[in-house]
Amino acid sequence: MLIAFATSAYAHAVTPGDAGYIQEIFGVHIISFIYLGAKHMITGYDHILFLLGVVFFLYHMKDVAIYVSIFAVGHSVTMIAGVWFGWGINAYIIDAIIGLSVVYKALDNLGLYQKWLGFQPNTKAATLIFGLFHGTGLASKILDYQLSEDGLLANLLAFNVGVEVGQLLALFVILIVMGYWRRTPNFMRQASVANIIVVGLGLLLTYQQIAGYIAST
Amino acid sequence: MNNAPKPNIEDLPTPTQLRRSTIIASLMAVAIGVMVYLPAEYGTDPTGVGSILGLTEMGEIKQQLAAEAAADEALHGNDDSSSLMNDIFGLFVGAAHAQEAWQDEITFTLAPGASTEIKATMEEGATMNYAWVARGGRINFDLHAHADGEEVTYDRGRGQTSGDGSFQTPFAGDHGWFWRNRDDADITVILQLRGDYSEIVRSE
Repeated sequence: MLIAFATSAYAHAVTPGDAGYIQEIFGVHIISFIYLGAKHMITGYDHILFLLGVVFFLYHMKDVAIYVSIFAVGHSVTMIAGVWFGWGINAYIIDAIIGLSVVYKALDNLGLYQKWLGFQPNTKAATLIFGLFHGTGLASKILDYQLSEDGLLANLLAFNVGVEVGQLLALFVILIVMGYWRRTPNFMRQASVANIIVVGLGLLLTYQQIAGYIAST
Repeated sequence: MNNAPKPNIEDLPTPTQLRRSTIIASLMAVAIGVMVYLPAEYGTDPTGVGSILGLTEMGEIKQQLAAEAAADEALHGNDDSSSLMNDIFGLFVGAAHAQEAWQDEITFTLAPGASTEIKATMEEGATMNYAWVARGGRINFDLHAHADGEEVTYDRGRGQTSGDGSFQTPFAGDHGWFWRNRDDADITVILQLRGDYSEIVRSE
């Protein structure tokens, strides 16, 4: 147990926060990594926005479970494989694609693909494919954390469990809010407006990432 | 303008169910806030659950790092002291040097969570050879220097029990190790040095 710290002004590079903590520890820390995974998901508004889009018109628990599981499978596969094999993709590019996934789903909810393309693209396939991209984004961020090789696989799996826990907690809140909202008489009209706003937010996220990428090169 | 029909009111959760879910969610949020979030971020654990989960230690480490970063800031101003993108000059030299006599041998013990800095005052272009072993646990270290806005990281590691090598200084100043015990038992480190330095500086 750590008791008290006499902090003197050391002069070495200090990385504070989650990254700093991760860079100092080694060995297996299951609960800590579950916490960090859940925190990452709950504070990752791009993931939450996509999840909101996916369940926007789903209210049968069976459908919610199917789509959320598809998303979970997608992001688990690329997150674990991405870290394990060190597929570091530029975070700006992957986050821009994640922003576009939010745009895609909101346009889908507005029924615009049927209007523009004349058919409905497979929603399950889209959820899986974007899940794979979201997982790649998570992997890029975990690689930045520089996890110790010591206990890497166990910690990585714990982080993934944490991401799912965070997703379920977020989903619980989303479903409660949607449940109240769906019962109101003007829900369908407001749903259109809400999804148009989500399109805008998704475009904003994408724009920020592209601007960040341009600034970084 | 929507990709779904209007939901049937009888398929939706009833107001009673929604109220119950809201109460459960609120209670869970408070519980997570007190038992998980506070310990993991601030190291404060009013219920004791955070310590059982091992999250209080995370919060303490984060607070400690934040305090050190602030102290660094005060000492050096804004010299990007949290950058990991430092030049790495760590060149490991083989065991050929090990037969030569060491100039200094420094032994110190760190309790869990404790840290110390041991540095050598050196001119630009000077060389240092070193070897160290840790007993009782595995230690984290950062072998570096910075002076007047310049900085260099020669090597850093965590969970190590020994190391040896040499480095050549790109600028004059105090060059050496920041050591921290992140293990759960006392660690004794024996550090041996040989090189062109005028004195050993140690700060607790």
